[in-house]
Amino acid sequence: MMHFFNPLLSHWATQTGPSFWLPAPVSNFADTVDGDFYFVYWVSIFFLVLITALLVIFMMKFKAPEGQKATSQNDHNLILEVAWTGIPVILSFMMFWYGYKGYVAMATAPSNAMTVTAEASRWLWNFTYPTNGAVVPGASEDFNEIRMGVRDGSLTPEAAAEREAKVLEKAGLHVPVNTPVKIKVMASDVLHSLFIPAFRVKKDCVPGRIGELWFEATEPGVYDLLCTEYCGQGHSLMHSKVVVHESQESFEKWLEVAASYDETLPFEQLGEIVWKRKGCVSCHSLDGSNKVGPTWQGAFGSLRQYTENGVAGSTTVDEAYIEESIRYPMKKIADGYPGQMPVVKLTDKEILWVTEFIKSLGK
Amino acid sequence: MNPNDQAPSGSEVSSQETAKVAPETTESGPSYLTVTKTFASWALTLDHKRIGLMYLVGVLGMFFLGGVFALLVRTELFSPMPLITPLFAADPGAQADLYNQWFTTHGAIMVFLVIIPGVPAALGNFVLPLLLGAKDVAFPRLNLSSFYLWICGAAFFIYVLFSGGVDTGWTFYTPYSTDTSTAVIPAVVGVFILGFSSIFTGLNFIVTIHKMRPKGMTWFNMPLFLWGTYSTAVIQVLATPVLGITLLLLILERTLGIGIFDPQNGGDPVLYQHFFWFYSHPAVYIMIIPAMGVISEIISVHSHKRIFGYRYIGYSSVAIAIFSFIVWGHHMFTSGQSTVMNIIFSGITFSVGIPSAIKVFNWIATMYKGSLTLNTTMLYGIAFIFLFTIGGLTGLFLGVLSIDTHLHDTYFVVAHFHYVMMGSALIAFIGGLHHWWPKMTGKMFSEFWGKIACTLVFIGFNLTFIPQFVMGSLGMPRRYYTYQDKFEIYHQLSTVGAYVMAVGFFMTAFYLLQSLASGKKAPSNPWGGNSLEWHTPSPPPLENFHGVPSATDPYELDHFDYDPVTGNYSSRTTAGSA
Ligand code: HEM
Ligand SMILES: [Cu+2]
Repeated sequence: MMHFFNPLLSHWATQTGPSFWLPAPVSNFADTVDGDFYFVYWVSIFFLVLITALLVIFMMKFKAPEGQKATSQNDHNLILEVAWTGIPVILSFMMFWYGYKGYVAMATAPSNAMTVTAEASRWLWNFTYPTNGAVVPGASEDFNEIRMGVRDGSLTPEAAAEREAKVLEKAGLHVPVNTPVKIKVMASDVLHSLFIPAFRVKKDCVPGRIGELWFEATEPGVYDLLCTEYCGQGHSLMHSKVVVHESQESFEKWLEVAASYDETLPFEQLGEIVWKRKGCVSCHSLDGSNKVGPTWQGAFGSLRQYTENGVAGSTTVDEAYIEESIRYPMKKIADGYPGQMPVVKLTDKEILWVTEFIKSLGK
Repeated sequence: MNPNDQAPSGSEVSSQETAKVAPETTESGPSYLTVTKTFASWALTLDHKRIGLMYLVGVLGMFFLGGVFALLVRTELFSPMPLITPLFAADPGAQADLYNQWFTTHGAIMVFLVIIPGVPAALGNFVLPLLLGAKDVAFPRLNLSSFYLWICGAAFFIYVLFSGGVDTGWTFYTPYSTDTSTAVIPAVVGVFILGFSSIFTGLNFIVTIHKMRPKGMTWFNMPLFLWGTYSTAVIQVLATPVLGITLLLLILERTLGIGIFDPQNGGDPVLYQHFFWFYSHPAVYIMIIPAMGVISEIISVHSHKRIFGYRYIGYSSVAIAIFSFIVWGHHMFTSGQSTVMNIIFSGITFSVGIPSAIKVFNWIATMYKGSLTLNTTMLYGIAFIFLFTIGGLTGLFLGVLSIDTHLHDTYFVVAHFHYVMMGSALIAFIGGLHHWWPKMTGKMFSEFWGKIACTLVFIGFNLTFIPQFVMGSLGMPRRYYTYQDKFEIYHQLSTVGAYVMAVGFFMTAFYLLQSLASGKKAPSNPWGGNSLEWHTPSPPPLENFHGVPSATDPYELDHFDYDPVTGNYSSRTTAGSA
């Protein structure tokens, strides 16, 4: 209904760098949000100037010494009252309307959006990419160190940029340009909130709930990602970066590298990374508690009763049994468990590392 | 009949020639300040004026304390590097914790101990019965107990300061508040007690306004300050219990782990936010509506002109009070609340803006063709109109769903609510303090220093908070101990502004105190007001009026003659009969 106004709004918003009021607009929402912002802004400026001018003029014109009588005692005027009720009603309805339109677009992600999860905890971010299960850290500590380094002069701006690029090879929220991306936000301890000023998006990370936001980045580059819900001591340090890749290819290349393993680490540690990254974590605990599957604590070398094709049997948990259980999860079903383990595609090396990890958890 | 009839009559009042004008009183006998002198006569007083004055001292003391924390916060933020926290703690983590305690303490003191009780309990207690021509409020004992509850709440806050502080922010959001090791329970108990103090005051005012209006005062010739305190009292009585229950649940959650709000026990943290804002949004109107009432009095009296649009101003107070109950969800647009809820709350939020706009325009129209005395009090009134305009207009940005998604929990919000809570509610409180200072103390303060201090506060205030709008919309989140270098300049301007403001407030404290010692004696009507408090000596006698006043038209302001020698406005109509 008010579409005729929109060309005007987007005209105010067509700019690329940061302005006095707003950061550089880098997402599909930025133009709408900025257009709405400037609409309210100019309406506000108009009324502020009007009111200030009236105040100043009246102060000069009607200033009088003590005891002087006012020249009028008129105390009502219906037309004025109607005008200054009606005009704000119309203007605020327009504001509501634009905000509502813009917000509905932000609230409904397209079905083809790529999904990334962002998990907040005190005081760090972890981003998980479902295509290959890579868990990429927010690396807040590195970014804060770099910031401090620049400030105390121990890092030149060039050195800082270099170091940041290095960190970003395996950290941060990475997305391809011009691709709808849906972020599932969650928190593991207290409230947090994911805020990307350049994209104009924000969503609270609430423990016990999964929230969602989406965007389509429009300009390759590196942007701030911040926590905006107070979460205690390290709240202001929960700072990471969003990297917008200039193409799907470059994004995928990055993901492959980020998902690769640092093979200089000991096998047990690599196994632990696999446990987290490939989702074993959701069913197998390390603390002795049994979830959907048996715990890994003290599993190695213990006796396992199972059922295979309806026939009961038993075995000690050894390397062969572990490998078989990973490759053919439904073959031997441990007694007392529902037998719901999916086939998780692990490479031979990953199986080796996981086995070493389980071994390290005691007999 | 009328409760005022029991008032001991000093000079018997000849019955009113004109129904509109109250009889002048002769200035004789002791005032409420001097009638008794013992400590007990103050501590156990049932006199609303003394209770109001004690509230005033308490509130101003807490304003000082809250201000100290504000300056600590602003000083620390002068640089993104640790600046003054290292003076108090060695470990970097402990330094951040300390900062978090400072802003929490600042916010909690200012909201619960200063601004909520400021206008209603301190000024309202003093003025409300006077405006009604009454001898006291309806329940003087309840009034005294509400003051002691306030003291008790304040004591809990002081205790918190000495027992390791609290670091949750003034909002006490769960699950952080159930999880942190700081002194959440004493702080929450303090707020709980303050809630009762607020409820008692509200109840008292509702009954007083209903039952104790003088002969001839209808709802529509009450001074607008009474409309404001009445609307506020209704909110206080209806909304505060919700806060009380919420805080009790929070305490139970912390002590017994009952799992209302904590997801680990099956609770929902967002539910806490609903409960909290169901009180705290109306509470922001508890702060602003009585302030608006003060401004209606100041603008009209010091313009010596009838208030413009009396009914619109009165009704808009009631409208704001009603709408204020159904907009709380606008604090939770990004919390994951459903889209439909967000849209509804956004829509209703704008309905609160309109009555605010109506008031602003009516105040300005009141000044038109008035005879403006630009004294300190009036300057505060005009400053209020300007600052409240900015506060209200920036509220519009936040009510727009798409924009608030970007601005929520940034410094833009911080600046917005400081414009409305400090720039408006607190400035109105200070303005009202000047307006009624001669009546309260019987002394005139220095207009010269008053105007300078007001100007400093005005400049300092804008310098503090305008940069916060800019950095907020550029993406600076609130409650940050350290920040990116690009925000440094805004923070520095803001800190300088805070110091300018502090100078203004200290100056105010000095000239007001100085007026007590050596101020000129105040006449009964120094500004030319016609509501009933100006028809009794300054300071008033214990029983408020010598005789039984009857209603005046509070906005009939053009029948006074000003006497430059005494500085008094006396009404021509009754001058002969006195
Ligand atoms: C014209 C009317 C107003 C409108 C449309 C308005 C709108 C809003 C909105 C939408 C928010 C939430 C922003 C966010 O958290 O993202 C907000 C916050 C706030 N407003 Fe207003 N507001 C108005 C007037 C006032 C007044 C008169 C007061 C107080 C005297 C006030 C005090 C506050 C406070 C204290 C907060 C934030 C509290 C916090 O998060 O700590 N507002 N306002
Ligand atoms: Cu609100």
